[in-house]
Amino acid sequence: MSREGFVAPQNLSSAASGFTSNKNNTVKYICTSCATNVSLGRNDAIRCSSCGHRVLYKARTRRMVQFEAR
Amino acid sequence: MKDVIEEEEEEQEVLDTEKIKILPGATEDGTAASFQITEEDHTLGNALRYIIMKNPDVEFCGYSIPHPSETKLNIRIQTYGSTTAVEAFQKGLADLSDLCSHIEDKFSEKINAADYSTEEP
Amino acid sequence: MVDNIVHIEHDRVTNTVSTDYPGYHNSDEDFSWNLEKFKNSFDIKISYVTERAANFDLIHIDTSIANAFRRIMISEVPSVAAEQVYIFNNTSVIQDEVLAHRIGLIPLKVDPDNLNWVDQTVDEENRFTDTNTVVMSLDISCTRNPHAPKNTTDPKELYRNSNVYARDLKFEPQGSQLETFKSPVVPADPDILLAKLRPGQEISLKIHCVLGIGADHAKFSPVATASYRLLPTIDITQPISGEDAKKFQKCFSTGVIGIDEKGEAYVKDARRDTVSREVLRHDEFKGKVKLGRKRDHFIFNVESTGAMSPEEIFFKSVRILRNKCEYLRNCPIGQA
Repeated sequence: MSREGFVAPQNLSSAASGFTSNKNNTVKYICTSCATNVSLGRNDAIRCSSCGHRVLYKARTRRMVQFEAR
Repeated sequence: MKDVIEEEEEEQEVLDTEKIKILPGATEDGTAASFQITEEDHTLGNALRYIIMKNPDVEFCGYSIPHPSETKLNIRIQTYGSTTAVEAFQKGLADLSDLCSHIEDKFSEKINAADYSTEEP
Repeated sequence: MVDNIVHIEHDRVTNTVSTDYPGYHNSDEDFSWNLEKFKNSFDIKISYVTERAANFDLIHIDTSIANAFRRIMISEVPSVAAEQVYIFNNTSVIQDEVLAHRIGLIPLKVDPDNLNWVDQTVDEENRFTDTNTVVMSLDISCTRNPHAPKNTTDPKELYRNSNVYARDLKFEPQGSQLETFKSPVVPADPDILLAKLRPGQEISLKIHCVLGIGADHAKFSPVATASYRLLPTIDITQPISGEDAKKFQKCFSTGVIGIDEKGEAYVKDARRDTVSREVLRHDEFKGKVKLGRKRDHFIFNVESTGAMSPEEIFFKSVRILRNKCEYLRNCPIGQA
């Protein structure tokens, strides 16, 4: 009789702030120039690891959002 | 099937006192009255109006939905005096119910007869 | 005898309202409600019933009753549709709320009798159970196709999962649903396009589907259309022959008017007519033809969205109207 097929994220605060669950506290970005996935930590230079471009998008986190299908 | 019947009986035990009311202004003898039904619209209103108008003891029957954003249905019944508005209303419901039963029987009879095409022309 | 034909003239319709009430006519005919009389006159003729559509005639019944069935089929027969969408990831170009809306509109093949109504008074945590909710999921991501033919520009060949269709929704049976549902839940039309993807884009979500009625939202309506029209009548009052007959024939839809061996026009099949009134625009047919519609002959056309058979939808509409009556009969009449 379980009500739902999914489990809501338990650590909502960390999900909301954009941190992924990996231990080294990195955030995922996507390079606007070459579309590579870049993981950056707190003190890393804001720079693409493969092409050196300095403009990055923040990737969408897997935080659940609920919508009414209306 | 038995379960369904029991379920219906259970539902009827909880009386819905808000569903239908007599509006102020009914005559003393009950031969003319207006009813207000909640959560109903033209679907029931017009069908019920038709079947009540078919009653020879009824002089007038009409319905209205006083405001489009309120789910309320007003229905007015005036009789010639040989019956009361409530009785005419109840007869209308009974007649409409019988009519539906017959349509259901007739339609299932025709579906079971299966003398129709199963392809769209 | 009451004139039951709606007269259709070139610029107006007359005799549109039913008058079969006691006290309306100065005749001896009895118009009071009589179930036995109704049983004798009322008739149903079924033209065809397919998986998705039905066409049948209700004959000798009042508009108010026929219209009640039509209205109930559209807005009060319950069916199942997606109501809550839980999106974990959506990196496609289609916005979350638009995607959620599109998913809501997919007709699902679920027998509504398998589910109970969701009790809105229960708190949101415990509201959804395996007896009132169907869970489906959509997990899809687009990748490059390494075996794509050279020089192709077709996204379907270049990429895998470039298009997301309704068929990509996967049923996730909850609790005892594997036993209680006769067949797994699938979209009634698998080829509905939901979103387009490019390599690296992903959609991951779960949906909760519940019972509802069309009055609340059109996605819950079990019919694509449920409509009726009155049976047309064509009355040729003076013979029309020769070239006129050919012109006369062309004023109607194909198959409505036939021409006999004497070259005279006759009404072959009035049912096929669309009542365009084209014939009334020509002076040569003035006074030679009368158009009309039978006021108590309803040609119903019911198209199902796929969850139920069309005849079942009509059955349910009749039962719903009867249940309304039975429910009201048992309600105490209060004072306002």
